[in-house]
Amino acid sequence: MNERLESSNEAVASRRRKQRSKGPRAMVTAALATAAFALSAAAQEAGKPAPQFAVDDAAGARAGEFRTLDEEVQALKKLAVDLNRDLFLLEEELLFPASTQVSVFVSMDVGEFFALDSIELKLDGKDVASYLYTDREVDALYRGGVQRLFAGNVRAGEHELVAFFTGQGPHERAYRRGATLKFEKGIGPKYIELKISDRESRLQPEFIVVEWE
Amino acid sequence: MNLSLSKFTVVLAALAATSLEAANPVTGADAPDFVLKSVAGSNVRLSEQKSDVVMLAFTASWCSECRARDAHLAELYRRYRDAGLVLLMVSLDDDRRAAQSVASRLDADFPVLSDPRGETGRLYRIDKLPTLVLIDRAGVVRDVLVGDTTRGGGADERVRMLLREL
Repeated sequence: MNERLESSNEAVASRRRKQRSKGPRAMVTAALATAAFALSAAAQEAGKPAPQFAVDDAAGARAGEFRTLDEEVQALKKLAVDLNRDLFLLEEELLFPASTQVSVFVSMDVGEFFALDSIELKLDGKDVASYLYTDREVDALYRGGVQRLFAGNVRAGEHELVAFFTGQGPHERAYRRGATLKFEKGIGPKYIELKISDRESRLQPEFIVVEWE
Repeated sequence: MNLSLSKFTVVLAALAATSLEAANPVTGADAPDFVLKSVAGSNVRLSEQKSDVVMLAFTASWCSECRARDAHLAELYRRYRDAGLVLLMVSLDDDRRAAQSVASRLDADFPVLSDPRGETGRLYRIDKLPTLVLIDRAGVVRDVLVGDTTRGGGADERVRMLLREL
C-alpha cells in the first residue's frame, strides 16, 4: 500500500514538475507570438502609402517652384534678346550715322527672263560690294525678300552709283548689264534700291535704280 | 647600326605618308564662311550646308598626292551622302579649266569649287596640299587633316564619328 501511495505521489510530483516547466515555456512562446504579431502589423503599416494629402502638397510645391523658375528663365531670355537688338541699333548708329549713311538694297520681281548670278557695285568709281548669289538666295528674292547689299558712309554732295548685274538672260545666254544713278547726299540717310524685273513687252529683264524718298 | 638606321628611316617615311593633324588655328572655331562658283556654274555658300557634316577638301590639278585622296573622298561621300555628308572640293588652281579637269577626273557628282585667287585657301590657312577640313553639323571646324588620308583610315573614322553626332 505504501508502495502504491509512493508511486502515486511520484506521479503527481512528476506531473506538477511538468506543469511547472511548461509554464515558463508557454510564457516565452506567448511572448514570441505577440512580438511576431506586432512586427507583422508594423510591416503592413509601413507598406501602406502615405496619406494622400501630404503627397499632393509636396508635388504642388515642386510644380510651383518650376513654374517660377521657368518664368524667370523666359524673362531673362527676353531681356537678352532686347539687349541684343538695342546693341545692334546702337552699333548701326555708330558705324553709319544718318548724316553720312547710304544703303543699297536689292529686290527682284518674277524673274522669267533673268537668272541672277552676281552683282558688283561701284560708288564714285570705287568697288564697294561684290556678291555671288546661291540658288537659295535667288529664290528668297523671288519670294519677295529684299537684301541689303551695301551700307557705307559718304560725305554730303553729289555721288554716282553704278551696279553691274551678271546672270543668265533669255535663251540661257550669259547676260551682263549695268545701271547708273547719280544722287545728292543730304543730311539724312540715303536709301537706294536696285530693282530687277521682267519687261514683258520686250521679253527682256529690266534693271532700275531708284531712291527711296 | 645600319639595321636600326634603316628601321628609323622606314618609320619616318611611314609617318610622312600618314595623315597628320596640323595645329591649324581654325580648328575648334566656327568655320569661316565663303561663297565660290562651282565648275558646273552654280554658286555654293558654306553656311547653307549647316546641319550637314562637311568635308572641305582643298586640292589642285598639279597635286599628284591629291589624286588618291580625292578619289577616296568621293567614294566616302557616295557611301554616306544620305546620312547627311557633304563634300565640297576646292580647287586652288589659277585657271578654271584646271578645276574643270579635277571634276572630270573624279566624275564628280558633288560641287568642285574654283578658288583662283586663293582667298578661301588663305581663310583656312592652307599651306600644304592635300588638306581636308572636317566641319560638324553646327558649323564648327573639328579636324584639319594634312596629307594623304587614305592610309590608316583616320578620315573615315572621324567622318563616321561626326555623322553619329546629333
